[in-house]
Amino acid sequence: MVEEKERLPREVVAMRVAKELPDGGFVNLGIGIPTLVSNFIPDGSVVFYHSESGVLNCGPLAEEDEQDIDLINAGGQFLQMVPGMAFFSTVDGFAMIRGGHVDVTVLGAHQVSATGDLANWMLPERGVGNIGGAMDLAAGAKQVIVAMEHTDRSDGPKVVEECSYPITGKGCVSLIVTDLAVMQPTPEGLVLKEVAPGWTVEEVQGLTGAKLIISPDIKEYEL
Amino acid sequence: MPPRLDELTMARRAASELQPGQVVALGSGLPARVAEIVPSGAPVQLLSDGGALGYKLPDNGEGASGPSLCGPNGVSVALGKDGSVVGTADWAAMLRGGHVDIAIVQPARVSAAGDLLGWTTAATPGLFAPGRTVDLAAGGRKLIAMLPHTSSDNSPNIVTESFPVADGRGCVDIIITDIAVMRVEDGALVLAEVAPGWSYDDVVSLTGAPLAPPGDLKEIAPSLESLNIERPGKVFPDGPSAITDLHDGATVMIDGFGGPGGMAHHLLVSLRDRGTRGLTIISNTIGIARIVNFGTPAGKLAIDHSILVENGQVAKAIATYPVSPSASRPSTFELAYRRGEVELELVPQGTLAERLRAGGAGIYAFYTPTGAGTLIGEGKESRVIDGKDYILEQALTADFCLIRGHKADTLGNIVYKGTSRNFNAVMAPSARVTIVEVDEVVGAGELDPELIVTPGMYVDRLVVRPEGFSPYE
Repeated sequence: MVEEKERLPREVVAMRVAKELPDGGFVNLGIGIPTLVSNFIPDGSVVFYHSESGVLNCGPLAEEDEQDIDLINAGGQFLQMVPGMAFFSTVDGFAMIRGGHVDVTVLGAHQVSATGDLANWMLPERGVGNIGGAMDLAAGAKQVIVAMEHTDRSDGPKVVEECSYPITGKGCVSLIVTDLAVMQPTPEGLVLKEVAPGWTVEEVQGLTGAKLIISPDIKEYEL
Repeated sequence: MPPRLDELTMARRAASELQPGQVVALGSGLPARVAEIVPSGAPVQLLSDGGALGYKLPDNGEGASGPSLCGPNGVSVALGKDGSVVGTADWAAMLRGGHVDIAIVQPARVSAAGDLLGWTTAATPGLFAPGRTVDLAAGGRKLIAMLPHTSSDNSPNIVTESFPVADGRGCVDIIITDIAVMRVEDGALVLAEVAPGWSYDDVVSLTGAPLAPPGDLKEIAPSLESLNIERPGKVFPDGPSAITDLHDGATVMIDGFGGPGGMAHHLLVSLRDRGTRGLTIISNTIGIARIVNFGTPAGKLAIDHSILVENGQVAKAIATYPVSPSASRPSTFELAYRRGEVELELVPQGTLAERLRAGGAGIYAFYTPTGAGTLIGEGKESRVIDGKDYILEQALTADFCLIRGHKADTLGNIVYKGTSRNFNAVMAPSARVTIVEVDEVVGAGELDPELIVTPGMYVDRLVVRPEGFSPYE
């Protein structure tokens, strides 16, 4: 059945998310698919990246022979020094997030609920997890976009009616972009806005753990 | 009555209270004149609410001055060699966080219980107009009130009755007037010194509160000897010598993100060698650099918090990112956690930063939406403000803090390098003893005061990282 059908590659998911970033906006990208988003900023647009490691306007990763242990991103990877970089303490870095100065954050997730609850910091079977900046981003960024695979490794739904994993933030997600669909959590429920080429609404619903409200102007994934 | 003291003699008496290494906040009026008495190069730092730390009067000959450097009374001041420029939030944090040793204010009146009525509040009946006085009164570890003993109509400024509206309650420790020095002890006034020619009875006749006589009444004769003593040095020869008092069971702050930078590696190794046990570590990560391995040469391991965990020294961690990003590659800490050997308090990263800031700035707790409705909010006081859920988070402080800086001057002013500033700059004000490992210590005056990130007031000890020291082992 649907197993055989091709899903969108991670790069295309990232490309779709990149369209959502405001020109000139301040953006914080999480790890995984979100990291790829920076490769697909439309020509003529500028985005300023914020990292919890204490730097604004971070650019590409450093070449191996140019690594500086005092110049890292939130994941600990080495950054290139680029013009216009600004360093700051963690208090300032999180005042930017908590004070609503970060326009968009793009995060990965274990689960997202129909009303926009986000679960991305802990898998219960591990018994311990990392919060890092995720809860602050969920609570403080002006817009939270989730970019992830539509289902988990055993094809179980990651988009669910209610999160069964410990949540990162309540009702914080404004848009979910997966390798099958673009969905918008609303107080009324989850609105399906776009589907991947070659996929039907019914097929997407079959892999989604929440009832989808079909948008009146539903369309194919728009890049 | 014999003549009263002039303002400069009062200022001289106030200045004689200052001890080497102290930070002193001066209010407007008479206290501002203390700056005229403190000699150039004296081992104390004056703090103005205008944002100058370590300022001098331009006449004292140090540094450039101008309208952009504002002292009390609105006068232009100059920065001394140990000076730096601070924002108003930093000024308030210095006071509220208990980093100011002495605050000197000129109130309109003081009560026998040490309550303080500021000029502006006194001058506007029915209106509480505290300005900066409330912060100065609440913040200085020791509060000196300087004021004329009586008002222009000869009514006493030192009174028994309390004020319906006060700028501070029970906060005054010492009162210096133009005829006497008094101490507030257990809510009562004790006369300590009198101006030359004045008797106990003379002073009592002009005082509106009972005044206990001292065993031995002295004449006011201020000595500035203590301002000639050199301030205690901060530079220690090496890591081990800087942590000899780091004790079992201590709470220690140590920064660290996923990369190998930002950690005081030499101090970490010194702490391992010392073998101190039962430590509570406050950190962003706890042993993640070693796991993610970025930049680590083949056959080597990054030095991070893992070396303390491995050595059985850690009892508890307060962290935001405590375990490996990959469950299949657990860190030393995660393994110890699973064995039940260490406790963990998990904190969102921004909340950790703010809790540390609050700890250093004398804020007991704050409301934040971060973590509301999650496991982090469980069991915490919560409230709805403007329709949004908030939880109450409490300040964090520590016994020691091991900081990674880049450059310091001999007075402990610190600049950082790149992203290694992150939690280091936040932790520095929040510990009782702050020890900084730097690449280089330069002379006072060699760092640009506009660029100082951590003023020396927060720094107790400096250690230079040994030449050629590697963050990998």
